[in-house]
Amino acid sequence: MRILTLKKVIAVSLLLTLFLGWVILISVMVGSVRVDPRQSLSILLRYVLSLKPTEHEMEETIILSLRLPRALLAGLVGAGLSVSGTIFQALLRNPLADPYILGVSSGSAVGAIIALLLGLSAYSFGLPLASFAGALITIALVFYFGRQGGRVHPNILLLAGVITGSFLSAIIMFFLSISQKEELHTIIFWLMGDFSFANPRSLIIILPYFGVGFSMLYWKSRQLNLILSGEENALQLGVEVERLKILSYLCASLITAASVSLCGLIGFVGLIIPHAARLLFGPDHRLLLPASALIGASFLIACDSLARTILAPVELPVGVITAAFGGPFFIYLLRRRKVVKTL
Amino acid sequence: MIDSFFDFFLTLALPHGRGRGRTAFSHPGGKGRGCLLMLCMLILFAPSLSYSSTLRLKDEVGREVVFPFPPKRIVSLAPNITEILFCLGLDEEVVGVSIHCNYPEKVKSRVRVGSYISIDFERVISLKPDLILATGAGNPKEVVERFNTLGFPTYVIFPKRFDGVLQSIRHIGQVVGKEKDALRVIESMNQRRERIVHLTGGLSRPKVFLQVGDSPIVTVGRGSFGDDLIRLAGGENVAGREREMYPRLGREDILKRSPEVILISSMNPNGDYERIFREWERWKMIPAVKQGRIHLINSDLIDRPSPRIIDGLEEMARLLHPETFKK
Amino acid sequence: MIDLHALSFRYRQDWVLDDLSFQIERGEFVGIIGPNGSGKSTLLKTLCRLLSPQKGEILLDRVPLTEMSQREIAKKIAVVPQETYSLFPFRVIEMVLMGRSPYLGSLLFEGPKDLEIAQRAMAWTEILPISERFIDELSGGERKRVFIARALAQEPEVILLDEPTANLDIHHQVDFLHLILSLNREQGLTILMASHDLNIASDYCDRLILLKEGRIYKIGSPREVITREHIEAVYGCSVWVDDHPISGMPRITLLKKGTPLHET
Repeated sequence: MRILTLKKVIAVSLLLTLFLGWVILISVMVGSVRVDPRQSLSILLRYVLSLKPTEHEMEETIILSLRLPRALLAGLVGAGLSVSGTIFQALLRNPLADPYILGVSSGSAVGAIIALLLGLSAYSFGLPLASFAGALITIALVFYFGRQGGRVHPNILLLAGVITGSFLSAIIMFFLSISQKEELHTIIFWLMGDFSFANPRSLIIILPYFGVGFSMLYWKSRQLNLILSGEENALQLGVEVERLKILSYLCASLITAASVSLCGLIGFVGLIIPHAARLLFGPDHRLLLPASALIGASFLIACDSLARTILAPVELPVGVITAAFGGPFFIYLLRRRKVVKTL
Repeated sequence: MIDSFFDFFLTLALPHGRGRGRTAFSHPGGKGRGCLLMLCMLILFAPSLSYSSTLRLKDEVGREVVFPFPPKRIVSLAPNITEILFCLGLDEEVVGVSIHCNYPEKVKSRVRVGSYISIDFERVISLKPDLILATGAGNPKEVVERFNTLGFPTYVIFPKRFDGVLQSIRHIGQVVGKEKDALRVIESMNQRRERIVHLTGGLSRPKVFLQVGDSPIVTVGRGSFGDDLIRLAGGENVAGREREMYPRLGREDILKRSPEVILISSMNPNGDYERIFREWERWKMIPAVKQGRIHLINSDLIDRPSPRIIDGLEEMARLLHPETFKK
Repeated sequence: MIDLHALSFRYRQDWVLDDLSFQIERGEFVGIIGPNGSGKSTLLKTLCRLLSPQKGEILLDRVPLTEMSQREIAKKIAVVPQETYSLFPFRVIEMVLMGRSPYLGSLLFEGPKDLEIAQRAMAWTEILPISERFIDELSGGERKRVFIARALAQEPEVILLDEPTANLDIHHQVDFLHLILSLNREQGLTILMASHDLNIASDYCDRLILLKEGRIYKIGSPREVITREHIEAVYGCSVWVDDHPISGMPRITLLKKGTPLHET
């Protein structure tokens, strides 16, 4: 009788991590400037093993200061968006849910735009902090509206989220309309997802949020399975449903807010990757969460590599690439109706 | 060339005064000693003759920049900077330009490093620049900071209005070791400006509407180059009191201001100017339309803070006061 | 084993449950009957603390429900739902293992003992052959058995069922009820079943609770509760009540409107 065991989860995770490592390697080796693959490898190895750096300063800078932080950031954000997408789909019991469905993205965007317009983006903390604040305020608002009688109703929450999101989008458009040319460009670029300013410092700042978010969500992954067949069911099986929901919403929103604050809005990842992971590994969150994270990381790194090489020297926004893959994949999912009964 | 190098080296060695006269040659009986000194220095510093030193300066936004002097490999992140560099006599030194750079002609085949905000950092790094030049009016702070963190000195100019352009030309001249050429360019630009101001001094100022954007209609307000040029060319900018640099006005609003001359800047290379002209033709109550004074003007000349802005000024003066500037 | 004191519950203005008090002994098979809206489902929901009553209390083995955690309740009371809808379908074995959840707590993975208990539950409900199938591929009857197995895996003392035979074909109804009865007789589980089918309630239950508008109209054995007067008073329609020729339990037959009645 096949049941899910820790061993199986570890085995799959290991496999996917190896795959992820390979994707990172490839992404570090491609770019608008041609660096010999063997050289790239040697630079990388020397760095990882803390050996003396080579004399090829230019290639070192490109590999270690540009491509590697960028790959790591893309990976982290990809994992974060995929995990929070998975959680939102489970909590809202809706296969079309994605990390932005509760208005978090609009809130982050408003925060970021305000920072840009006030000139706070000059400080490397300014933009991420402001957009993070925007996201948190939005989450608080949505929860305030979505709670009734001490309980969080998925449909009311959804409604509150969509309405708040729309309202915030209107604010964004207002800002766009009064902005001057220069600011406009930057805002729009950020709205479409931008990894070009990845640097190790921002990674380190955001890492704890991801770490805490992931751990808490994984700790509750078995109970999340129970919520899938209905909250009443879960309650009857002994799950403190309200607490679990609030914790999960909070963690997922935290991870989303952190991602958005780092690099703007990147769509489709949080929507598609959970479905892809479910197709491959089933709906059990104990396996699904790590699988989504690792697959999402690989996916976004690959997309970002494409985004920065296809039209060099100009970069395509990452969101364009994810949509280009996401769209057709979603259509494929729709045709495979077995996957999700409601679609 | 050796003269300026020598001068500069000495001004570093002698901290009191950057006076050009104070070289070894000016010392009485110093010609012989001067030659000996020069020979010694040549011998001592021969290996590092290519980079005599590093220069530490504050750029136009107050940042301290340290870079090898004179820079032999320069990357320009904006078209006006590129024009200035070439105008000062540089050519091979400019190893990378933005995709918008289009003047002089030979620049079109230089290595492109990105747009104003989307810079291909890898490509810039691969060019191994000594110095990167950016403009505060276009390149975002993040780009400049990024280059800073990566260890590439970036000098930022931020020209505002006509005089700002002259300043920037001067600063860039200092930065690339072409200060003399810079002063010459500035002098010439000043003279031409003076001439125009003088010729239009007593003339009445026609009301001018300068259109720099279509859908929505964008014009030039206080503090912009366009506004400055209109004033210098002897005109009155109908949007001159608007506090925004590039305000958007509705057509009725423009109607109210009754411009006597409408200048349409060639904002985009494939622009459909026929359509824009026809749009204006419909508003016969505007004086400019009635008198057929709607003209196209090259935006590269009037909206780009480069040496050619003086050409733009002259062109504008010609359009505003055709009788005075019959050429 | 289960004591209710003056239980009252309302959703909005009207009391759906009004001052209910009764006791249920261990091992009883109790049926809750009454018209729609009389509070049958609501009563069951308060018994597993899905809903919290505004007045009164429920005691489980003399411990108030309010003092127990959801997990502790789940270890004692299991619910067989009417129908569940799973967004992303699981396999049968996975569904049954979910019944072990109250015992796992924060543990993430089931151990060999849990697997053993689940297998026993599946054997008992005769679904071992379909243990690897996906739940959305099964028939209604098979699905019901999966939920019973899941309830069994909880190792409960009480099982609550809400209209369990609704939407089942008659042969499935028979199988299902047989299973429930065995659980009661052989395993000693206390069963509380809400049903709108009065004949089934009469046939299988030891005791019946007849609800009318949230209050207990009559509580007692089927013979005491199911009489023509009671049914007509609660349901407001004419019925014929006699003894079933084979089982001997009270049997209700619906009469067409206007049928003349005569005493037998």
